[in-house]
Amino acid sequence: MLAKRGTPSWNPQTRRVIEERLAINPDEHRFLADAEWLTLKAVCARIVPQPPERARPAPIAAMIDRKLAANGSDGYRDTRLPPLREAWHRALRALDAEARALRSCPFRDLGCTDQDALLGSVQKGEAHDPSWGDMPPQLFFAKRLLHDALSAYYADPHAWNEIGFGGPASPRGYVRMNYDRRDPWEASEAHPGRGARALRENERVGRR
Amino acid sequence: MRDSATAIEAARRLALSAALLAGSVLTDSAIEHYRGSFRNRAMYTPLASAALAVGAGLLAMCDPRPAPHRGRSAVNTVAAAVGLAGLGFHIYNVTKRPGGVSWLNLFYAAPLGAPTALTFAGALGWSAEQLRAQPARGSARLFGMQAHQALAAISAAGLIGTAAEAALLHFRGAYHNPAMVLPVTAPPVGAALLAWSVCSPAPKPRGLARMWLKLTAFLGFAGAGFHAYGVSRNMGGWRNWRQNLLNGPPIPAPPAFTALALSGLAALLLRGDRS
Repeated sequence: MLAKRGTPSWNPQTRRVIEERLAINPDEHRFLADAEWLTLKAVCARIVPQPPERARPAPIAAMIDRKLAANGSDGYRDTRLPPLREAWHRALRALDAEARALRSCPFRDLGCTDQDALLGSVQKGEAHDPSWGDMPPQLFFAKRLLHDALSAYYADPHAWNEIGFGGPASPRGYVRMNYDRRDPWEASEAHPGRGARALRENERVGRR
Repeated sequence: MRDSATAIEAARRLALSAALLAGSVLTDSAIEHYRGSFRNRAMYTPLASAALAVGAGLLAMCDPRPAPHRGRSAVNTVAAAVGLAGLGFHIYNVTKRPGGVSWLNLFYAAPLGAPTALTFAGALGWSAEQLRAQPARGSARLFGMQAHQALAAISAAGLIGTAAEAALLHFRGAYHNPAMVLPVTAPPVGAALLAWSVCSPAPKPRGLARMWLKLTAFLGFAGAGFHAYGVSRNMGGWRNWRQNLLNGPPIPAPPAFTALALSGLAALLLRGDRS
């Protein structure tokens, strides 16, 4: 994906946005307190485990922290959930409270199995700690946690490689709109049996 | 002599209409089927058939002989059949998608009006051939009725059908430009005036119909200009023409109105007094 940087498929605005994104420090947090930050990192590691051999893992927690720092909004919100910052604050504290009730240690110090079990109970709506308040845990899981973590992960160019996404639409645009259709500036997929053909086609991609 | 000269002239004007309509279908289906990557082999057929129909129409325009040409008639009959087959394919394309016949699929799946235009082109080209051997006034017959009535019916149906296609796709575009209401309102008025003037013996509706059809013919070319402007407004403009010609409003589509207006005018020519 990053090989497209110098081709006509990216314009200066695209290059600027991607460079900014790639420059995000995965260990830097600006908004969350230290304890909350460590909980967030642990949660992201369970929701989106990344291959350990990856040189530069997608900085999911850092991207969520940036979104909280900017008080960014998606433009819509389920009315049963509090606003972004309040929702995350409450959830991170509640997860730590649940972990303490279970094993007398914060969420980040639990074993992987326990962390998964705890997140599973949040997903099913079986978490009942009073620090959740009036925010339904299963709704937070579905509409906030998954939404924010996965949009952060799939905003990373390395994740685009993983799913074969052609990259930002600007400036070329996607006009073949049906399933499984390929615009000429996208990579050709090497299905079993058409590897050589895909290689030939990809030599021309993005050149014109 | 004057009668058969009028018949030949009407035939040549119809041939022009047919060539123009087939040319619009050729260019539009070439661009859109390329966008569809010719996924189904049959998608090459309308390109071949429309190209032949354009050739037949151009030859017919230059041909003064008072006899139908068998080759050109065959090309036009095949074009009409290919258009009907295309309509079947396009209906299948819409209905096979999740949601079947829904606004989403009517907007973004294969357009139903486009292959029908090829059928109309074939019908007009075939009629042009049949008219050559016939006297103009009174006894010229097509499809079992008086020739000018048959041609007026075909033209009116074509104008209304094309206006309906434009109405759907301009609705998809939310009529964001006020000019987008013109192809939805003017051609049906032309169709109505055309129908009125072939049914009524009075001369006044003919004058009105003629004027309105000329306006509609002009609208066809103006539409192509508007569509070219629309393509240039997309991201990257003409520099990104490889994508924007496919994405933007279809430039070859509006001249279909011009073609059908011209065939309506040919029907009026057969009907009565020339202005």
